[in-house]
Amino acid sequence: MAKAKLSSTKNSKKSIELIQSKFGSEGYICNNQIATAIFLSQNLHKPILVEGPPGVGKTELAKATAGWMNKSLIRLQCYEGLDEAKALYEWKYGKQLLYTQVLKDKLNDIISDTSGLESSIESLHNFDDIFFSDKFLEPRPLLKAVSDDEGAVLLIDEIDKSDDEFEAFLLEILSDYQVSIPEIGTIEGKVKPIVFLTSNNTREIGDALKRRCLHLYIPFPDAKLEEQIIASRVPDIEKNLKTELVNFVQNLRDLDLKKLPSVAETIDWAKSLVLLNVKSLDANLVRETLNVLLKFQSDIDAADSEIEAMIRKGNA
Amino acid sequence: MVDFLRDFIKVLRLSDVRVSSSETIDAMKASSLIGLEDKNLLKQSLSQSLAKSMREKEIFADCFDNFFKEDFMNIDNPSEEEIDEKTIFDEIHESQSNNDLESLFKTSDKTALMTSLANAASEVGLKDIKLFTQTGMFTRKILESMGLEKLNNDIFQASKEGKHNREEDLKEVRERIRLEIRDYVEHQLKLRTSESGKQIREDALSQVRLSQVDKSDFVLMTGIVRKMAKRLIALHSRKKRKANRGVLDIRSTLRVNQQYEGLLFKTLWKRKKVDRPKVIALCDVSGSVANVARFFLMFLYSLSEVLPNIRSFAFSNQAGEVTDLFGAKDIEGAAAETLILHGGGSTDYGQSLSDLEGFIENDIDRKTTLIILGDGRSNFGDPRTDILKSLHEKSKRIIFLNPEPKTLWGTGDSEMNRYAPYCHKAKACSSLSDLEKVVEDLLRYSF
Repeated sequence: MAKAKLSSTKNSKKSIELIQSKFGSEGYICNNQIATAIFLSQNLHKPILVEGPPGVGKTELAKATAGWMNKSLIRLQCYEGLDEAKALYEWKYGKQLLYTQVLKDKLNDIISDTSGLESSIESLHNFDDIFFSDKFLEPRPLLKAVSDDEGAVLLIDEIDKSDDEFEAFLLEILSDYQVSIPEIGTIEGKVKPIVFLTSNNTREIGDALKRRCLHLYIPFPDAKLEEQIIASRVPDIEKNLKTELVNFVQNLRDLDLKKLPSVAETIDWAKSLVLLNVKSLDANLVRETLNVLLKFQSDIDAADSEIEAMIRKGNA
Repeated sequence: MVDFLRDFIKVLRLSDVRVSSSETIDAMKASSLIGLEDKNLLKQSLSQSLAKSMREKEIFADCFDNFFKEDFMNIDNPSEEEIDEKTIFDEIHESQSNNDLESLFKTSDKTALMTSLANAASEVGLKDIKLFTQTGMFTRKILESMGLEKLNNDIFQASKEGKHNREEDLKEVRERIRLEIRDYVEHQLKLRTSESGKQIREDALSQVRLSQVDKSDFVLMTGIVRKMAKRLIALHSRKKRKANRGVLDIRSTLRVNQQYEGLLFKTLWKRKKVDRPKVIALCDVSGSVANVARFFLMFLYSLSEVLPNIRSFAFSNQAGEVTDLFGAKDIEGAAAETLILHGGGSTDYGQSLSDLEGFIENDIDRKTTLIILGDGRSNFGDPRTDILKSLHEKSKRIIFLNPEPKTLWGTGDSEMNRYAPYCHKAKACSSLSDLEKVVEDLLRYSF
């Protein structure tokens, strides 16, 4: 038994490292924790609820996963008022209307060789009704993901923006990976999709939903990880500029700001510095480009006086 | 492994992390998948399947580090020497059946000793330990179960035979084992009770009269108020949908009526979403209710997190609005600043009510609920019941919560009996659980 335990740990460690390297090849640098979450989700068939400050790569995680798994990514952006018809399925009622017209024309043929009301109803009854069938079904993201036979990566983005009702409605899909359509029945794919839910914590997610998911919290990366991310995303950047820039952003996050600069913004900043052909940071340059990093005037004002000190600290 | 997970989850639950049974199953699957070799990996995967928010993750990390500090990792390391676990257990079992504490101690095999200790502990039911006064008893019990009797006999034998060296030697062994066990028991006690003790205290505190709460319990109290508010939010954050008929919903009407060949046989209407109506709260922060005012404010603050449309006012001799203050500061900061701005003076209900009327004149309507928190003691000033009467007529309802028991209403300068007729509900409300009850009632039935 001791042996079995040992090998299971070694095996899982190996697969986690493999996952990590695959993410690396997609240009998504992730830490051990994220890879562990993906590994668990694959093996336990559980959706992952990803939380964290905006711009740390929650959505990107799903994209990268779809990338290295070679599966299609189906994305559902949540917003207030999102309902079944937009998320799950809708009937193509234009076509259904046409169908009834066609049916009306054909009606004579169907009941022509019957006599009496009862037998005509009988033959109508035997007539194959396709009014509610998958021919007239317009699949929306959730149904698409569930019925995909290859297995898809489903990204339910910003679940906190949707209504409580929608959350409750997700429960069936998240625990059984199936969709019930009252007129047709239950639809289930051959391969279970991999599901990501992201949340920015604008409201508390319900317990029932949380219970069905693994919970992954992605914080801001530390300096080393962020440098790796920049190196992979902005390969043209010079090494010492990269270090300076990452240190500066890390220091910036220690300030008391309304909105802290995220990884996405660091990447943008790095790109713009490369575009401006910058070799090393200086106070004026930072001041001019700070609006790439900080999105509130009050934040820019607050950071302004600290810029010199932070550059010095970053260089040290 | 199942055992340690069950124990660990029990500790988590005591520490205020909600773990459901389905999450327990997940955790078990995850840990059997991951194995137990790598502590960090185990911590990550358990954290992902058990702790589902930032706060819970922090608690989880603490609990995990505490729980797996020593015993578990040490016991589970035989793999390197390729020893079958079973043989170890057999050995221990043998040594135990021999009741040979001495040899167990002297083999200097700490793992065997710890395992034997853990076995003995579960035998005497150490997991039920609740109070620190039980430490001695459990230490003794474990010692006995591990073979104290034999050791004592040996000591007795040695002293009878006059072998003083051996006697001293054995006595030292006994003492050191006793200390080891005592440490173990104390650690277990700490693990299992530090949080449940807190729970008992919290339960007690929410029943205590607000004016009697000791200063040293303020921090804990704030926590309770928070928790209550959170519970209320969880219960009531769902927007209430009222089936008010709105305009015709053309899309869904067309869709439904296709089955009738497009004849509008069945009509569907858009529903109006009705949010929770307005609440106006007036809180007495004067000297006479100084002890309670802080909690009233905390509660008001929490309320403002639950209810979207709430305006809060505080008064002692005149009323002032604190809604914005509540929006800008955290719970303690807001309470403290309100007390500085409006507190301390002598109460004047008449003036405050007329101030309030000025503030809310345009805002009060048939959907408004007015909550007044105060003792109704107005220093013999004019109570201005006429204002309360007109507010009563304009608003949906008025709720007066008084920290004094009903028997004191109307005594001395209390105008409570004159206010009560103009309130839809006037209640004595002296502890946090009272407050919670009233608010829950308010949220559930009133709108």
